[in-house]
Parts: sequence; structure tokens; C-alpha cells
Amino acid sequence: MPDSEAPIIEGVNLRKTYQLGRVRVPVLHGASISIKPREWVAILGASGSGKSTLLHILGGLDRPDTDGGDVMFKGTRVELDRGRTTNEYRNRSIGFVFQFYHLLPELDVLENAVLAKLIPRTGASGLFLLMVVLVGGLLGAGLGAIAAGAGSFEGFGLLPVEEQTDMRSLILALTGMVLGSATLIALVQLAQVLAIKQRSRSSGVATAAKTTLEEFGLGHRLHHRPRELSGGERQRVAIARALGNAPDVLLADEPTGNLDAQTGREILDLLKERHEAGLTIIMVTHDPKVAAYADRIVELEDGCIRT
Amino acid sequence: MYAALLANRYLTSRIIPLIAVAAVALCVALVIIVVSVMTGFLDMLKTSGRTMMGDVVITYPITGIPYYEQLIADLEAMPEADGAAPTIDTFGLLEMPYGNEDGNLIETVQVWGIEPDSFGRVSDFKDILWWQTPSEEVAVTLASDDPRLDTDRDRLDEAMAMRDDWTGEPGIVFGMHVSQFNERRSDGSYGFSPANAWMPGNNVMLTLVPIKGGRLSLEPESRRFTVVNEFQSGVFQIDKNRVLISLADAQEMLRLGKGVLYDRSGALDPETGLPRVIGESPARVTQILVRAAAGVTPNELREAAAATYTAFWERCANDTSLIRKPPDPLRTTIRTWEQQLRDVIAPVEKERELMRILFSIVYIVCAGLVLSIFWAIVHEKTRDIGILRSTGASRPGILGIFLVYGLVIGLLGSLIGALLGWLVVSNINGIHHALGQPAPLWLTLTTFALALVMLLIAITCAIRGSILKWLLGVIACLILSVTGVALLLHQGFLVWDPSVYYFNEIPNSTDWFTALLTMAGAILFSVIGAAIPAARAADTDPIKALRYE
Repeated sequence: MPDSEAPIIEGVNLRKTYQLGRVRVPVLHGASISIKPREWVAILGASGSGKSTLLHILGGLDRPDTDGGDVMFKGTRVELDRGRTTNEYRNRSIGFVFQFYHLLPELDVLENAVLAKLIPRTGASGLFLLMVVLVGGLLGAGLGAIAAGAGSFEGFGLLPVEEQTDMRSLILALTGMVLGSATLIALVQLAQVLAIKQRSRSSGVATAAKTTLEEFGLGHRLHHRPRELSGGERQRVAIARALGNAPDVLLADEPTGNLDAQTGREILDLLKERHEAGLTIIMVTHDPKVAAYADRIVELEDGCIRT
Repeated sequence: MYAALLANRYLTSRIIPLIAVAAVALCVALVIIVVSVMTGFLDMLKTSGRTMMGDVVITYPITGIPYYEQLIADLEAMPEADGAAPTIDTFGLLEMPYGNEDGNLIETVQVWGIEPDSFGRVSDFKDILWWQTPSEEVAVTLASDDPRLDTDRDRLDEAMAMRDDWTGEPGIVFGMHVSQFNERRSDGSYGFSPANAWMPGNNVMLTLVPIKGGRLSLEPESRRFTVVNEFQSGVFQIDKNRVLISLADAQEMLRLGKGVLYDRSGALDPETGLPRVIGESPARVTQILVRAAAGVTPNELREAAAATYTAFWERCANDTSLIRKPPDPLRTTIRTWEQQLRDVIAPVEKERELMRILFSIVYIVCAGLVLSIFWAIVHEKTRDIGILRSTGASRPGILGIFLVYGLVIGLLGSLIGALLGWLVVSNINGIHHALGQPAPLWLTLTTFALALVMLLIAITCAIRGSILKWLLGVIACLILSVTGVALLLHQGFLVWDPSVYYFNEIPNSTDWFTALLTMAGAILFSVIGAAIPAARAADTDPIKALRYE
């Protein structure tokens, strides 16, 4: 890769201190790191050296101290203190792989793999939910008013004519509002669950995830739950999940740390294949053999990068 | 969409949320059942007036209302009224045809003098007469030994004529519980005790105390009546205390019929030497029952009846030819049946409101249940929250998962609770009837057999070393054994005593206003209960969550 190419992701003078009770534990002391596109960098360091913290800050999962440096992505500062920005950053640009796989046990293999795709990219889902609440509430209130015999519906509904007081009608309309909102929300949720089921069978998202899983040798495990898989299989599902949204950078935190040597090699080979296909990888490890797979190794020592 | 998927999976893949749903359902069902029975009781109290009293009653007791025929004509001319009937309400002593060595039994009763035809127009008199051939629809619902299926016992015509066909004696109609011959069974039907001792055809002696000139007469009036029928209004107090005789008989015995008016100044008629006749006293009744036309509320009818009575009174007051004047409207009571029963209805209404308030604690129970269960779930799902955050899920998104989860639990619980409540309320009389019977032998034996099976399972689990399964087996065995013993000892008990609760049947209509209110409350409080753990989940630091063990 040409040296002149601009870095895809950078950590600039990162500082991070943890507060453990009354004790302040400084972890990063102005660590800087720059990774170019399609590069595989291994961050090597002893346990507790701050490798994972650096990775988490680069991935937007954690924030540096106030005025404790910046994370730059494709030349733009990532605003780590803005929730929506970091959520989008983690969802679109970054894929995480963890040592302990961290699959959702209630979802099957395919659902875990498409998880990133299911997360909405805008605030539209919140607005949609608000609309559902409003529409359901209005419908319910209308039905409540009819049931109360309000207006031209006098004599119709749940309340006897002599009990159709304004207060009772109001209570019934409010009751209808709550029931209407709740029912419509539940129906929308049900529709979404059915839509997800449908999408997991035939949509482009599902097809892409299936292809990845088949490439990882998990084609026969699509509808198995994580507890039914071996460690190596789980980690492959975790990688498939991390790649679900075709991120620019894959961040792997000790990806082989919980696997036997043979399975670890298989996972690294798999990452290598993806790297050769153009994926940028930042991998944290304490094992020099694992780090040897990377294009470049940087060492983290006393909270600073030693290249 | 992930929120819907995860909420669905969290709900369906574990048992704790199902326990929450069951708890919410039971709370909702409990409120619906209790308030529905109380509301039904109130409604029955309010509507039972139509059975025996119409909708509005104009009352002037003791001396009565004269020229009531004109008043009834005026009332029946009102568009708000469907009919009006004159009646007399008084108390009397009834000598029954049975007793002991000291003589026949004498009971105090409320006596109503009625005209069967007009009374039938304002009340359900004809329908509630017991000894009449049942319609085909009713006949198929009766037990094969029901005496009403014997057409020889039909006494409808005699009741409508208020006269016994055989003896020609004046007739009297008893409330179903006045006579000791009628033995009410737990299913609501009647048998005879002693066998074949039925009341129609028996003679009784009725004694009334007439009023004369606003003073008690010292000459009680006794007359023999033949029982021509019995009625069941459904209101126990009425069925227990009331007897009906013809209006003419009542007027005669109470001296409220037409009569000659003498000059009280002492002036004598020169021809006869007797006190001078100054006119004719009109017949009087102590109350007039009015039935509302379709779509007219009792209150609307009451207002119209009051206006009509005032006009009637003014007309009579201005008519100098009338010797007697109707009572002043201010001294006349014009009330709806509900107002008549205010002393009974008001406390029950208060009790119902109190119940609603007390049972709103159920909402707090829902909120507490959901809160504690969700707190545990959020604790258990901490790492999942970290995973979702690492994949780009927002804090509101995480909040949404658990809020929707709480909402679905509230909604499902409410729906199941409402269904359960409706089923119990609709079948409450059947359930009550079943509780009133000794437990069937097959059920007792099945319970003991299941207890034995559970014991064997517990022993097997103990041998295999599973403490949890052993414990569950032992608990199930104990519960089934205790249930079996309870079934064995159960000989039936009566919860709903008609002598206490007025009505023979437990009200079985669901109060949907309260049901919907309870459902909405349960949903709202389930969401509130879920909100605190959900907010905690949303606030979870993803790094800490991922490191959570």
C-alpha cells in the first residue's frame, strides 16, 4: 500500500484515566496511532497495558478523557460525545469482534449475523413509534368516545344513558387512548417480527449474510442458537456479524484468546482472507504469534504506542 | 426492528415474563370479577323496580290519593309514560294454613292491592307468576321433575282474576318465599316440603288495620282468601314479605273505597233521623306506579309525572264541587325506584367506589411485579446491552426494547385477565352451583392419583440426585394431597345467600367500563414498572456491560 495514502482511522494523543473508587488509574498517556486503508495492524501489549481501551476508543465504544485527544475517521474528527454520531459510526463504519464472541443467545446464527442491519440508521424509527402512539391513541380515544355515547353516539355503547356523564366519557376516551396506543404498538411490533422473519428468508440482507456464513462454513448452522455451536463457530458468527454492514474497519479484541491453537489459526486465516479482499483490521493481542499475521505490529507500553 | 425482535424473543424464550403475564392477568381478572359482581348487584337493584314497581312511584300513604282515575288518565296521556296503575300498600297479618300445637302460624306481610291488568302493564307481573305453563323455550331449561311442567297446576287465569275458580273466594298471590312449603334448591328451582304440599288452593286469613279519618280504626278487618298463585320477583325481600290482593278487596278492607260522606257537625237528616249526607267519598289509592315509555329515563319520567300531578292537584283544588282534595304536591312523594331504594343503593355505590380505589393497589402490584422481574432481566441481559451498543444501537433503542417488552406483558396480561374475568363472571352462577355440591368422586380420586404420581416422580428424582426436581415433586404431591382431602371433605357451601344479597342469582354481567379501565391501568403501570429498569439498561456503559460476568 502506498505510504502517501491518507489514514482511514487515527487516534491522536489519546489519554484515558479510569476512576476505580477513590483511585484514579491512568491507562493511556497520549497514545497516537494511525492506520491506513486495507492495513492490518496488530496492537501488542501486556495484560492491562490499555490495548482494549485504545481499541474501544477507536471504535467509539469508549471516550477519551476531556481534552484527551481525538479519533479521526477518514480525516474527519469523530464526535464521540454525540450519541447519534457515535451510534452511526459504530453501526456503519466499524465492526467489532470480541474475545468472548458476545453473540445474543436468544437469536439464531443468521439473526445474529444480520443484527447490525436491523439497527435503524436514523431517528426515523423513533418518529415512527411516536406516530404509532399518536394514531393508536387517537383511534382508541375515538372508539372510547363512541363507547361512552358521547356526541351523536348517545345511547350507543357501554354506558347506560343515565350514566353518560362528561367525566365518565372523558375517562373512557382516555382509557381508549391507552388501549389504542398499546394495541397498535403491539401490532406494529408483531408486524416487524413477521417482517424480520420474512426478510431473514429472502431479502438481500439475509442473502448477503447467508453467503458470508456459508463462506465461513456455517451454512448448515443458520438457524442454530449460539449455545449449540463450538467456540470456533461462535467466533466465525461474531466475525460475520461484524462484517454485516460492510464496515470500513474491523476491530478485533483478542479474537483467538478463547480458542485452541488450531481453531485460532482458522479464525486468523479467515481474517486474512478478508484482509486480502481489502478489509482494514486493527487487532489487539498479547500473543506475538497471532500478531505476526498483521502487516504491522505496534506495541503499547505504559499507555503509549511504541512502533 | 431489532427492538421488536428482541422483545419477542425475551418474551417467548423464558418463563419469568410468562409469570409476569399471569400475575397481571390474575390482578386484572380479580378486579373485573369483584367490581362486575358489585356493579351487577347495583344494576339489579336499580332495574328490579321495573319488575314490581314500574319506573316511578307517586305515593301518599295511609289516607291515599282520591280521584286517582283522573290522575291515571292524565299520566297515561303523557308521551313519557307507557302506563300507570293504582295500588295500595299496607301491612297486615297473615294466618297460614300450617303451624304447630299452638295454632296456625301468623306472619306479618306487606300487602299490595292491585288491579292485575293495569299492574301487569307497569310491571312484569304476568311474567313473574310462578304457577303458569312455561313457554317451550323455558320448558326445555327446566328439570324433568319441575312441578310447573304439570299443566294442571297452571293458575295464571285465577291470578289475573284474583279469584279462586273453585271456591269463588277472593284470591291472594304470595311472594315465592312467603310460604314455608316452597323449598328453594341450589340451582334456583323449587321443590315442596313436605312433598306435594303446594300453596295454591289453600285458604289463609288476612287481617288489615283500616284508617278512618286519619286515625287508626280499632276494628281490624279480617278476611279469608284463597291462594291463587305465587310470584318470584327475584328480589328476596319482596318474595319473602309481599302478598298481592285485588285493589277492590284492599280498598274495602282499609275503607278506602267509595263511600258516603256524612255531615260531622251533628246535623241530622230530618227524614231519616241519621247524620246528614253531604256527598260521596271517592275511592283512594296510596300509590300510583308509572312505567316509562321506550327511551325515557326514570328521571325524565319522574319530572313529567311531577308536573302532571301538580296540574291535576291545581285542577282539583279549583273545582269547588269536589268534597275531598288530593294531597298537596309538596306532601306527595314522587320518586324513581332508584330513589325509593336510596338507603340500600347508596351504601353499595360507596362500597363499589371504595373497592375500585382499594383494588387500584392492583396497579401498583402490576408495576412492582414488572419492575422486579425487569430489574432481574436487565441484570441478566447486561452483556446483551453491551453487544447491541457495540453494534450501533442507541440508548433510546435499548430503552425501547424494555418499554415495548413491558407494554406487551401488560397488554397480554390485560387481555388474558379480561377474558378470564369475563368467563368467571359469565359462569359465576354455574361455579357457585358447583361449589354448592359435594365434589364428584372421580375428581377426588383423580386428584389422589395425581398426588401418587407426583410422589413417585419425587422419589425417582431423589434417587437420581436432582434436588430441584425432587422438591418440585414433593410440593406438587403435597398440594394435590391437600386438594384431594379438601375435595373429600367438601359437602358444598353457599356463598351467595339470597336472604342477605336480595337476589336469588349472582349478577353475571361484566362491567366493561371497569374492565377497560382496569386493562388500561394495568398496561400503563406495567410500562411504568418497566421504565425504571429500561432506563437503567439505556444508561449502562457498553464497556462495563461487555466486561460483565
